[in-house]
Amino acid sequence: MFFRMVKGTFIRQKKKLLMIALTVALGASIATAMLNVMLDVGDKINEELKTYGSNITVVPQSSAVISKLYDTEEEDDDAQTEYIKEEKVGELLTIFWANNITDFAPETDTTVTLNNSEVGLVGTWFNHKLEFKKKGSVYTRDTGVINLRSWWDVESGTMLNEQAVSGDKYAMIGRELAEEKNIKAGDIITVSRDGRNEELEIIGVFESGDDDDNMIYTTLSVVQRLTDTVGYIKKIEVSAITSPEDELAIKAAKNPSLLSGDEYDLWYCTAYVSSICFQIQEAIPEASASAIRQIADSEGKILEKTELLMSLITFLSLIGATLGISNLVTSGVMERSQELALLKAVGAKNGQITFLVLTEIIFTSILGTIAGYFLGYGFAQIIGHSVFSSGVEMSGMVAFIVSVLIIFVTLIGSIPAIRMLLRLRPSEVLHGGH
Amino acid sequence: MNKKRKMFIRMIVASLVRRRSRMIVALLAIIVGATILSGLGLIYFDVPRQMSSQFRSYGANIIIAPESDGDVSYEKLQKSITYFPSNELEGYTPYRYENSKIHNMPVTLAGTDLGSVLKTSPYWHIDGELPAKNGEALIGAKLAESLGISKGESVSTVNTFEITGEMESIDIPDYEKYTDPETGETHCDHTLDLTISGILETGGSEEEYIYISLEDVEYLTLSKRGYDIVEVSVASIKDKLSEYTEKISKDIDGIKAKLVKRVTASESSVLSKLQALVFIVTAVVLVLTMICVATTMAAVIAERRREIGLRKALGAFNSSIVGQFMGEGLLLGAVGGILGSVLGFLFAQYVSQHVFSSPITFRPLLIPITIVASVIVTGTACLMPIKSAVEVDPALVLKGE
Repeated sequence: MFFRMVKGTFIRQKKKLLMIALTVALGASIATAMLNVMLDVGDKINEELKTYGSNITVVPQSSAVISKLYDTEEEDDDAQTEYIKEEKVGELLTIFWANNITDFAPETDTTVTLNNSEVGLVGTWFNHKLEFKKKGSVYTRDTGVINLRSWWDVESGTMLNEQAVSGDKYAMIGRELAEEKNIKAGDIITVSRDGRNEELEIIGVFESGDDDDNMIYTTLSVVQRLTDTVGYIKKIEVSAITSPEDELAIKAAKNPSLLSGDEYDLWYCTAYVSSICFQIQEAIPEASASAIRQIADSEGKILEKTELLMSLITFLSLIGATLGISNLVTSGVMERSQELALLKAVGAKNGQITFLVLTEIIFTSILGTIAGYFLGYGFAQIIGHSVFSSGVEMSGMVAFIVSVLIIFVTLIGSIPAIRMLLRLRPSEVLHGGH
Repeated sequence: MNKKRKMFIRMIVASLVRRRSRMIVALLAIIVGATILSGLGLIYFDVPRQMSSQFRSYGANIIIAPESDGDVSYEKLQKSITYFPSNELEGYTPYRYENSKIHNMPVTLAGTDLGSVLKTSPYWHIDGELPAKNGEALIGAKLAESLGISKGESVSTVNTFEITGEMESIDIPDYEKYTDPETGETHCDHTLDLTISGILETGGSEEEYIYISLEDVEYLTLSKRGYDIVEVSVASIKDKLSEYTEKISKDIDGIKAKLVKRVTASESSVLSKLQALVFIVTAVVLVLTMICVATTMAAVIAERRREIGLRKALGAFNSSIVGQFMGEGLLLGAVGGILGSVLGFLFAQYVSQHVFSSPITFRPLLIPITIVASVIVTGTACLMPIKSAVEVDPALVLKGE
């Protein structure tokens, strides 16, 4: 009988219940979209912040020497400078947080003679296809400075595409140096060092807005031949997506071995810049990885602010959604006073009526929530694609939060209505007076 | 006419007062809608300003350097600083680099204004203190490690001068003249004693320098000159920054101002994304809230079909019924809009204080916009249900079908 009554309501009161379901669906869709965007905005902004370039540098353990200080001392310096084996670079991708490493590039820099004057030459990967082994299988991955120097403006020529050219005798030149030496894209230059010469074709002239404007960038193998260090590199720049630093990260940064077991696990399994550095050192023992404070700190700060901003906006929209839902539920229930008064008149108990109404409402809002979740999924994707040109990742937790929230809100919304219904006098209502 | 208007107002007010609880519910929906519009609107317009001062934690975004060889004199620096509006200028730090020796190892000294250095390099991690007075120094972590210097220690930096005829006349106490046995030249060592007040960690090339005050550099090198480079941190958008740098480079001879592209290019891309995010979120939330307001109003009016029927039975014209209900709706919309714009401002202020710890910029224009918008939304929302309600047959409604 109970089910027949519920079913009856659904058929007879189609329009009113549809209205409630629609409101619930709208509210649920706001909640779903906002919560998903809020949870994903950190990752999205973090990816955007990657345009600032690398946030970790990896150098040989004992090269903490003054290599850049004196150009004139460079000769002696090279003899002392230690190197990392180039084959070790792939090890970066075997660490726990490997998926958070967005780009990296090994580097060796030196000074060479060009037209009788000394200039800086940097050898690196532009868009190198790296083969690396992980758990026995071999993978490949494209990485290099193309993404790490996203702020470069190529003024003439094009960016060097390693994979599209044959051989390695190519270079990019900084704007100021190009002007000074009157070098244009397409020119062939000869650089020499210690009696070794290399002829390089200039693929493009770039403007970087910093010291790089006076440098030449070329492929790693060219510099390795010039400095007689084939198979070795001086430095790796790494760009990784990291979590904002908190107390645990600050504590760990001083000395990870002082953490308690649980703290250590939590720290190790969180993408703090310090734990990623630590894991890089574990993977490449002869190297020392350190955070570039300018990038790492600011990223943390901006992320934190963005997430806080989004969570407050989400909070406001959740209030809007819940108020809308409870409003509609209240008026939806109240409209049915006549029918319910009739039930009372034929002898239904208050408990029975309440149960009946609640079942109907909750059933309706479950349908509404399901529809709203998918609607919200759509909204989240629209937001993701129009702002970040990539979809927003849906979190299972959101589905759970939204359903709990909606059921709760629906129940709260029904309370005033039900209280009013219980006070109804059947005779008055049925007679038609209010 | 006057009587009619009086009656009209009395009817609206009476209806709102009698049906208090339902009206409060409807009003609440409108208020929330208006709050979201004005609150998110304020935030949307303020985000670039607020965020761009957050982005200043990346440090300087403009550098002023000498055009060719030479330096940036104090006067030129002061003149160029006037090109930045004072509410946008976060700080500027001049640097003067000199070579010197500690423990016979070559080092680079950076003379700077240690009081303002953290404004242009907020990311510096200092183990210890910033030097508070002359004779104290901040040493880069890498340099400290290679020299074996720790915090609190005293070191001496030594500059060696070749004594020329002119200089021999200068008499400064800590000169020690000696003659190089190989070349036969006379040299003197000028020594500056420094106490290391802190160790600097940045992960960048700053770790390879020693930072001391500009006066100490002048004392050590016995020379007074301008700066090699000046870092400026300005909280502004990219277009304005390039405007400032172009003007400075054009107006002041011998120096050029440059954007730190790495910082400015990336900042504007992130900032525009962020603003777009707030915009689209506001739009989506607003559309959904409007639908909520509309459905609430529709429900409120649908409930009153019986009242409409009664009035029609008593001989009311359709137009006067529409007028009354629209009047009620618009009044609700206006009241909701006013309350909502106040609440929205409070919300935006709270967000701003909480997230950015600075007050929000008040935009008076948003108040009328919010009120007008909520009146329009409520009015449109009432229109449909009123129309269908007016078409009812009084007899049917009053009988209770």
